[in-house]
Order: sequence, then C-alpha cells, then structure tokens
Amino acid sequence: MSNNGFVPYDLIVLLKGIGVSLEVFIISSVIGVILGCLLGLARHYRVTIIGSISTFISEFLKNSPVIVQLFLIYFGLPIFLGIDMDARQAATITLSGNTAAFISVIVVSALASIDKGQIEAARVFGLSEWKILTKIVTPQALLVAIAPLVGLAVNQLQVTSLISVIGVMDITKVGQILNQRTWQPFLVWPVIGITYFILSWVLSKAGLLLENRLKKHQSWVSI
Amino acid sequence: MFDLSIIYKYLGSFIDGFEITASVSALSIIGSFLVGLMVMFACVSSNKLVSNIGYAYINCFRNIPFIVQVFFIFYGLPELGIFIDPYTTGVLALSIAVGAYCADVLRASVLQVDNEVIEAAQSFGLSRKLIYQKIVLPIALRNSIRPLGSIFINLILTTSILSTVTLNELTGAAKIIAAETFRPFEVYFFLLLFYCVLTYILSFLISRVHARLNRHFVTEN
Repeated sequence: MSNNGFVPYDLIVLLKGIGVSLEVFIISSVIGVILGCLLGLARHYRVTIIGSISTFISEFLKNSPVIVQLFLIYFGLPIFLGIDMDARQAATITLSGNTAAFISVIVVSALASIDKGQIEAARVFGLSEWKILTKIVTPQALLVAIAPLVGLAVNQLQVTSLISVIGVMDITKVGQILNQRTWQPFLVWPVIGITYFILSWVLSKAGLLLENRLKKHQSWVSI
Repeated sequence: MFDLSIIYKYLGSFIDGFEITASVSALSIIGSFLVGLMVMFACVSSNKLVSNIGYAYINCFRNIPFIVQVFFIFYGLPELGIFIDPYTTGVLALSIAVGAYCADVLRASVLQVDNEVIEAAQSFGLSRKLIYQKIVLPIALRNSIRPLGSIFINLILTTSILSTVTLNELTGAAKIIAAETFRPFEVYFFLLLFYCVLTYILSFLISRVHARLNRHFVTEN
C-alpha cells in the first residue's frame, strides 16, 4: 500500500505545527522582552558590572548564527551541566536569549533618544527616579521603539523556523515530513512559505495598528 | 570539564569548513548584490507593473524564512530535472533571498537622492543611463554602505543554515567534529566565538570603507 498522497489529517498536523511555532514564538518573546528590558536598563544606567556584561552578551548573541546557539544549548549544555532538556525547552531558551539581545539594543537607543532637559526638569520638580522612568521616559521611549520592535517581532517569527533543525515539530518540520512522505516539494514548500507569510503579515499589520494607536495622542500637534 | 585542546586537534577540519563558508559567502555577496540591483531597477521603474513585481519580490522573500526557501530549492530543482550540488544550491538560495534585502536598501537610497541633482543632470542633457551611472548610483551606493554591510554580515551568519542541506561549511564541519569527539559544548562555543570575531573584523572593515568613501564630508569631531 502506498502512502504517498495527502490525507486530511495532514492539515491537522500543519495546524499543530503552527501552534508549536506560535507557542515558542510567544513564550520566547515575552521572556525576551522582560530580559531585554532589564539588560537595556542596566546598560542605560551604567550599572557597574552588569552593564558591561549585558553589552558583551548582547553583542555575542547578535553576532553569531542562531543555529549554532541552538546547537550549543541543545547538544552542548545538557552534557556540560549534566541536565536533561527537551528540544522545545532548548529552543525557547535560545530564542529568549536571542530576542533579549536585540531588544536590549532597541531599549538603550530608545532611552537615549529622550531629551535630557525633560529628565532634569522632572528632577527639579522632585520626582523620584522610578517615577521619571515610568511616567516620563517610558511613554515617549515606547513611541520611538515601537517600529523597530515590530520589525524585530516579524524577524524573530521567521527565526523560529530554525528550531526545526533540533527536532521541534514546528511548521518547517511538518513541511519536511510531508515533503519526505509525498515527495511533492512544489506543493509542500509554497504552502509552508505562505503560512509564514500570512503569519508575519498579520503580525506586521497588528504592529502597525499598535503604532497608530500609540501615536494617536500626538496627532493634534500637527493639525 | 571544559577542554579546548580538542579544537586544536581538529583545527584542520575547521579550516576546511571555513574555506567553504568564505567562498559561499563571497559568491553570494556578489550574487545578492546583482539580484538587489536588478530588483531595485524594477522597483524604481516608471512602469507600474514592473515596479509592482519588484516590490512583490522584496515582500515575498523577506517574509518567508530562509530555511524554507533553501528546502524549496534543494528538493524542488531535482523534481524539475535540474541536479545541482549543495554548494550551488546554497549560493543560489542566498543570492535570491538576500537579494531582496539588498534591493530594499538600494531602493531606499536611490529614492533618497535629491530630485534637484537629477533635474540638474537632465538640464545638462545627460541621458537616463548616464544619470544613473554617473550620478544616482554613486551617491546611492555611498549612502548604503553601512546597511549593505550589515546585510552582508547577516548573510555570512546565514550560511550556517546551509549545513541543513548537507553542505559541510563551518557549522556542518563543527557538527561532524562534535559527533566524533562527544564534546559539543566546547566545539559549538568555539564556533560561536569564531563567528563573533569574524563579524567584528568585518564590521570594522565596513566602517573603514564607509569613512573612506565619505572622507570629503566634514565631520563634527
């Protein structure tokens, strides 16, 4: 009996793959944003050692291929530390670190773009450093950072395709399996490609909506 | 135990892998630049259809992961009766994919060239070809050195994905070494450091080229 055709169940497998990809993407993005903000703040306020460690780590992660980082975490770390780790955990850890590295850079440049005069004025009014950060700096820095953040998110969504290399059943891995079973690359890979395309299109449209919403209160200035 | 001596023992394989990475990168940088130029010309074309095709190319290849494109070419071409080795597949896929990024950067810097400069050239009676060749492209290329440089550095990092289509470049070689020695941590750690050093040297060189090409502009410091 030959098993070469497509069956309806393949669609369910593909949907599951989309679920896995999105799950890894969302979890690693959330962890990455939190970690990246902390690293960025450490760098911005020049916390003695953590600041330079943060710079080093983010440069290290930005300037090396994600695939090697995945191999290091998935194949290297368990042997080195003597721990157990499944592929999805390794993928989430790697992508979180990678996202954090890029986000810390965006955070640093967004914080640096705020006018020093405003912060000095706030200090004169006796606001605490925490209040200055949350009430004055962050709302404005967010406006500067939102466009690069959306770009980063679309990019990181595509980076998730690399986790198939260490065996996570994401969209690309599903594509590989279907491709090997049916041997119809001209049907399988365009479908996989379009899936990614739609996901990143939705993501960038959502980002655009968010950006417009954040910029809404600015619009009266230009009238 | 962290033991880097095995790296020393397998240095030969690393160097073999590096040679492949370097040559694939060099060929794909040339290829993607040429693809980028072509797509850029399509984008800035006055013909609506041609410019739409150019933009569609950029959007399409930037929004689909590189690994999917590589698999499509790697498994798809033999179906069409075209049999090429992983090396050529890699160069082809990288040129097509990174070409889209190059095209976007080039398009942006060509559109940034002042209209007055072009109008002046037109009033001197220069032909379209000469305007592009002597005025628009030199200005645009000089402005896009930095973004192009970071795209090309990214390209070198992306060559590591070609290890999934059985090309034994740096990452592929490291995979084999890690399997042979059972010391994946040291091998991949060394590899990460190697890529970092490589990209650092390259970004330094790019900033030198940028400084050299823009030397006639007065800088503030």
